[in-house]
Amino acid sequence: MTIRGLRILPPFAIGRLGSSPEPLENYDVRVAEDDPLGFRQIHGAETLVVDRHRGTIVRSYTPRSIKFKDAGGRVKPVAPFLEVWADVDGVLVPLTTSLLAENKLSVDDVEWRAQVGNLKAFRRTNKPPDRIEADTGWFRGHGLHLLTGRCENFLRGRSIPFGDVQFISPGRKFPEIRLRFTPAKGLIYGAKKRSQEGDLTGGVVYDTRRGTWSGYSDSYARPTSIVTAPSPIYANLDDPRSTSRGYLDDECDGIVEVRIMADKRPVLQAFARIGAGPPDFAPDSFPVRTVADELEQALLGPNPDNDEVSLEWTEEIIRRAFETVRLQNTAALNGNPIDGGVANSMSTQDTNWNRAQEPIMAPAIVDSKALQALHQSVFAAIRSGSATWFGQVLRKFDEVGDLTDRGRRKMPAMMRGADGLHLALTRRQYNAVLGSGNKQATSEDARAATFTAPTTPPGKETE
Amino acid sequence: MSTRVRPRNRTARAGVPLAVQAMEGKFAPKRIDSAALHEQLSYRAAGNPPGTLPTSAISNCFPGLELDFRNVWKKLFDGIEMHEADNLVVGTDPGHEDLRFHRLVKVTIPGPEGNIHQPIIVNVRGPNTNGTEIDLGAQALEWSNAFAELVAAGGQKVTCEFTREKATDPVGPDAETRRVTLLVRKFFEPESAVIARDLVEPGQLTQSLCSPWQNDYRECACYYWAASRPDYVNVETGPQGNSVGENWMQVRGSGSKQYQPDDFQSPGLFTYEDMFRRWEKVLRFEIAGQDTD
Repeated sequence: MTIRGLRILPPFAIGRLGSSPEPLENYDVRVAEDDPLGFRQIHGAETLVVDRHRGTIVRSYTPRSIKFKDAGGRVKPVAPFLEVWADVDGVLVPLTTSLLAENKLSVDDVEWRAQVGNLKAFRRTNKPPDRIEADTGWFRGHGLHLLTGRCENFLRGRSIPFGDVQFISPGRKFPEIRLRFTPAKGLIYGAKKRSQEGDLTGGVVYDTRRGTWSGYSDSYARPTSIVTAPSPIYANLDDPRSTSRGYLDDECDGIVEVRIMADKRPVLQAFARIGAGPPDFAPDSFPVRTVADELEQALLGPNPDNDEVSLEWTEEIIRRAFETVRLQNTAALNGNPIDGGVANSMSTQDTNWNRAQEPIMAPAIVDSKALQALHQSVFAAIRSGSATWFGQVLRKFDEVGDLTDRGRRKMPAMMRGADGLHLALTRRQYNAVLGSGNKQATSEDARAATFTAPTTPPGKETE
Repeated sequence: MSTRVRPRNRTARAGVPLAVQAMEGKFAPKRIDSAALHEQLSYRAAGNPPGTLPTSAISNCFPGLELDFRNVWKKLFDGIEMHEADNLVVGTDPGHEDLRFHRLVKVTIPGPEGNIHQPIIVNVRGPNTNGTEIDLGAQALEWSNAFAELVAAGGQKVTCEFTREKATDPVGPDAETRRVTLLVRKFFEPESAVIARDLVEPGQLTQSLCSPWQNDYRECACYYWAASRPDYVNVETGPQGNSVGENWMQVRGSGSKQYQPDDFQSPGLFTYEDMFRRWEKVLRFEIAGQDTD
């Protein structure tokens, strides 16, 4: 079996920060057959235990339950494995020691490299010395390789640890070629200012004599439209200019590469992407629109084929919407007055366009329990094939600017999209729902089946 | 209908999305067709919990949690760099300097059934403070949906329409334009499901997130990502049949269960200092909607 190419799978692995020395165990999340809109069930799954000193998998086991923090209350980091797969005559199979041997190669011919960055300060200041970057360089062997974030504007000898990578030594029971990325602890770094030192759990790294990140303001940007959206989003002094405190974190994203050497030259190579972000604090729930949905749309296009759409796909989209709604105070997010005020929500965000401030839905029907019941009835109707109107209540991607009452009540409701307007599904998700038979009937039918008009006349309710 | 190369081996159960099968542990193939890019994209490596999957990462990025995925689109056109969240050209390579701070208004995408003229800008319309429905402004569409058809044109040149003049402020869809032909970069590496190397460099996918991320958990009071960063937890049915619960950012054990609306001054909610110094302690994992660590 001749190796014709390599891939690293998954092509994109998410790590999650945490300071526990114990990585989070593996688990599956499953929908209960008898409760399709109930909370997904978490079941322990085969967990690989790595001896970080030796770089080997010493055992595997299936945990009986999953704890997301350790006994000391520290969050367990999510530390993904990245596997190397070999293209053998058009089929990918895991690259193993025996497959290497078949090709007259060995583990010693395998080299890895990881490059990650944190460009948050650079994105604002636009000064290259504010780039924080880590590069392991090419390495062999099974030791830990630290992802040491270095920056020209750091104090001498200071750095931000972004975690580490380790080429796991393949053994008899686990002969596959894999690397593990262990992300950082979730610490905060910054510049020396006595009043802020307690916040800097990672320490003082930034040299204020060289860099401008501490003291930076988005108000300095020219033209002003180049700032991030939203803006300003950095720890600041809460002054009129939103002056930066100069805080930095240990999130990162980047590339992991593998190559196989023969005669001192790379003969096969591949790379994958990694990132490290905050923990998923509701691990039995999933967002309605995810990075996977974006990647699938980019890979397969916005129009799924007929044999790809399915009732199960539509159900999953509704389930995920429900999983978000279930963890939202929808009365607050609707713009209902609470304790004499109105919460920050799409209802208030829309006033940035000088739109009248008013609740999105009728205030009386948006309690979390009521909306859960609504989603359950929609789900049941879709399962029974009687929800032909459902496609009509979905917001199309180019309807996000419709801030009329009718437009704002489309689904997904009360959530913000990447453009700051009301959220639309990906076009592929939207077409999948329509393709599964939910596009007949009229918008009037759809409206009648779901929402009533708000009781507050437009323009009568203000800040 | 899609004209893409379809996966050749259907290792997955029909109907249930691959992403779901992966999180359930029911999609764990030992062989994958090298052309089956969807399978490769959805693959969950041995030992990896579902939180490693892109399915667990939100993409309604404003700005995002794990990533600001909008950054992936910045360099889709060879020679220019777009703002991650706006139709503004913020960077140019030699030869395209005259596009800097101009705005992309429309793209003409060649397709099997003819050209697709994709507007990038939509009018924002709704009732003003007097209740009269009017045009309230204009907004660039998010890249992912606006460019959904364009990705298939990777490696080809397309016709783009940019504002005739520099436009650092937003413009409407009817702005005067001039046409420019640009090469569309390929989104994925050849024969692979990995985002192309030249599309986004290390650090760019997180660059426009809050610094530090803990600050955003305190500052952003809009709960659009509740399935990752919850809002309403420990919810029960109250005496009136309505829900009763707590704000996820609420100090626990502070009395009867009553949702505390976001308020920077409220002593009942976690502070910036809590988030910077004690986030691991104060932020709770929610299983079945209940505090569970």
